[in-house]
Amino acid sequence: MDNLTANGKAITIKKTFSRSTGISIDIKSDPSVIWALLTNASDYTRWNTTVTSLEGSIAKGEKLLLKSYLDSKRIFKLTVKEYEAEKKLVWGDAMGSRVFTLMAKGNGQTNFTMVEKIGGPLFPLFAKMIPPFDESFEKFAHDIKKEAEAITNTK
Amino acid sequence: MTPDLLTKEFEAALPQLKSYILRITASVQDTEDIVQDTFVKAIEKLESFRGESSAKTWFFAIASNLAKDNFRAKKRWPENVTDICKAKALANPDYFPEVMHIQQTSAHGQFEIKEHITFCLTCISKSLPLEQQICILLKEVYEFKVAEIAQIIDNTEAMVKYYLHTGRSTMINVFDGRCALINKEGACHQCSELNGIFNPKQNFEVEKNKVEMARVAEKGEKDHLLDLRLQIMKEINPFSSNGADLQLHHLEHNRKIMENFNEKNQD
Repeated sequence: MDNLTANGKAITIKKTFSRSTGISIDIKSDPSVIWALLTNASDYTRWNTTVTSLEGSIAKGEKLLLKSYLDSKRIFKLTVKEYEAEKKLVWGDAMGSRVFTLMAKGNGQTNFTMVEKIGGPLFPLFAKMIPPFDESFEKFAHDIKKEAEAITNTK
Repeated sequence: MTPDLLTKEFEAALPQLKSYILRITASVQDTEDIVQDTFVKAIEKLESFRGESSAKTWFFAIASNLAKDNFRAKKRWPENVTDICKAKALANPDYFPEVMHIQQTSAHGQFEIKEHITFCLTCISKSLPLEQQICILLKEVYEFKVAEIAQIIDNTEAMVKYYLHTGRSTMINVFDGRCALINKEGACHQCSELNGIFNPKQNFEVEKNKVEMARVAEKGEKDHLLDLRLQIMKEINPFSSNGADLQLHHLEHNRKIMENFNEKNQD
């Protein structure tokens, strides 16, 4: 998704065989802080109101077990597909991937984006069963902004 | 800097350096070793010291590096360490005769609530990741600035802030759930239980209220209660306080229990 504005509002693009949701937000923080928050699995539930548990190690090739408020009965079995320190993190399963990107803006700010694309040939069969991600994405983005900025303001 | 000046600076930093390493390793012996190695390394590297930081910051950097490689410093303890160690102490018929002997014979064998709060903070802080424990101690107890801590641990100021923030958040939650001094529902009453054993004639409520953290607990912000707890630690030297021998014995006991515990749980 190339058309994301850094306004903390999620947008979703639906197609026949896929659905993409994305969000972008500027955070007054160093990328290293945001990266530390993104890659410390055991700490997620402390700051992230969308995650009820995240087990595993966030490193390339590692497996993760994620439980989300969006679908509290389901455990998502994910793999870390890409890990480029302080720049890009991708996790996902056979159905889709979530891509986190960080871009230092040079003025003490970092642009954070999160995009998830799910899809495949069977997507039309189960599309209605998958809840919309928009609200959850907005919470995630605001949570990480709030936490990273609180850390940055530590005296 | 001349070797003589370095020695002088080292002696000035020594009490803080020793208590810092003790709080990371929970071992008197390892503390002595690391502190000695710190001095040796400082002498060896004296020519490379350019005065870009204070000598004290430099000593703490050397000591922190040595501590990071130390087996006992690396070992992390569970949050309920005091429960596990209490159960072991109660099951050991030699434990209380030993501590009563210390209390009766040592000039540093008094039981004081403040000292137990410090002991407890040392134990609980070992449940944090090592980087978080180091940053909290350096900032809140030894009063280093964020920029100095970044030098000491060779990391960015941003990451120091991350470690401080996450470590503090974790500690606040742990103490809020555990410490009966600040939360009536807290699971741990160990300081009042031990005060009853060592100071049976004291009124615990009166003694407790001499501790500001306990006195303001009901209306105090959780963040502020942690600051007050850390302030108590700042004021106590674990090697020379009124109850140093008693608390060091407790700490050695807990460390040994935790080493067995971690071995059994294949930590």
